[in-house]
Amino acid sequence: MKQPLILLTALMACAGAYATTPINGTVESKCIITTDTDGVYGNPAGDALSTDPADGGVTPIIRYDIVTADAYVAKITHPDSFSSSPSLTDTVTWTGDSEAGQMSDSTMSAFNTNKVEYNNTTEFDLSVAGSVWFEVTSEAEYGYEKAFPAGNYSAVVTAECIAQ
Amino acid sequence: MRLIIILLATIGGYVNAHQWTPTHPEMRPSHIQGLYTTEMHLFNSRKEINYYSIRVFDKDWVPVPFAAAPSLIRTKYLDHHSSDIYIRKADLKRAYYICSKSKILNTVKDPSIIASRICSKIKK
Repeated sequence: MKQPLILLTALMACAGAYATTPINGTVESKCIITTDTDGVYGNPAGDALSTDPADGGVTPIIRYDIVTADAYVAKITHPDSFSSSPSLTDTVTWTGDSEAGQMSDSTMSAFNTNKVEYNNTTEFDLSVAGSVWFEVTSEAEYGYEKAFPAGNYSAVVTAECIAQ
Repeated sequence: MRLIIILLATIGGYVNAHQWTPTHPEMRPSHIQGLYTTEMHLFNSRKEINYYSIRVFDKDWVPVPFAAAPSLIRTKYLDHHSSDIYIRKADLKRAYYICSKSKILNTVKDPSIIASRICSKIKK
């Protein structure tokens, strides 16, 4: 008598052992900044540091995900000073550039055509929704062909996304 | 083929991003007279970043006084964080952007560090 009762209870428990769990989400206008690749300075000559792969460096790559077109402006600033370095007694000359590399939509090539450069900042109008990978180059030259002192050098690239 | 899918899934799963929403926050009267407030959300999936600062600016990027709880956000990897921003009624007209910026510790010695800043524009 007991065994069929236990079996029946177990069957009933199994029959009811499922549940529905809702997953809710909202897609809202936003800009996401993703650090895709951290840069590394190569040291092609004593007086130079460069992120150019041809100089032994690694180009920093920053991905922007844009949900809504025309909602944000991207501003990328390449370094004009070291955030940490050995003591430097001479001037450092900085150059650099930012440009859209890979893109999820071919019309994003307009980002490069319409970019605005001032000081060490490049401004891109994010007029197309999707993902875009910005490549930032940075070069530093020390004094007049003077060798950089040995040590670790760090510099900061600033990636901004400003709502319009 | 399976190995490639697993590899792609692994690479795709590693995200290193900064999110700050909403894009156009709306200021509303707070429970304190003369103060307006809005709630901002931060999502940190930058492994190397544990702190974000909040700042409020006018149209010309001049800082505008504000109060936030907290104004320096301590966050962990994959952490969601909400922050209440308070602006005086007198400053409301000129307050234009609410920004969050990643703070890099002095101890980080990566050769090239990326600082991220996202600014939302206050709905007028």
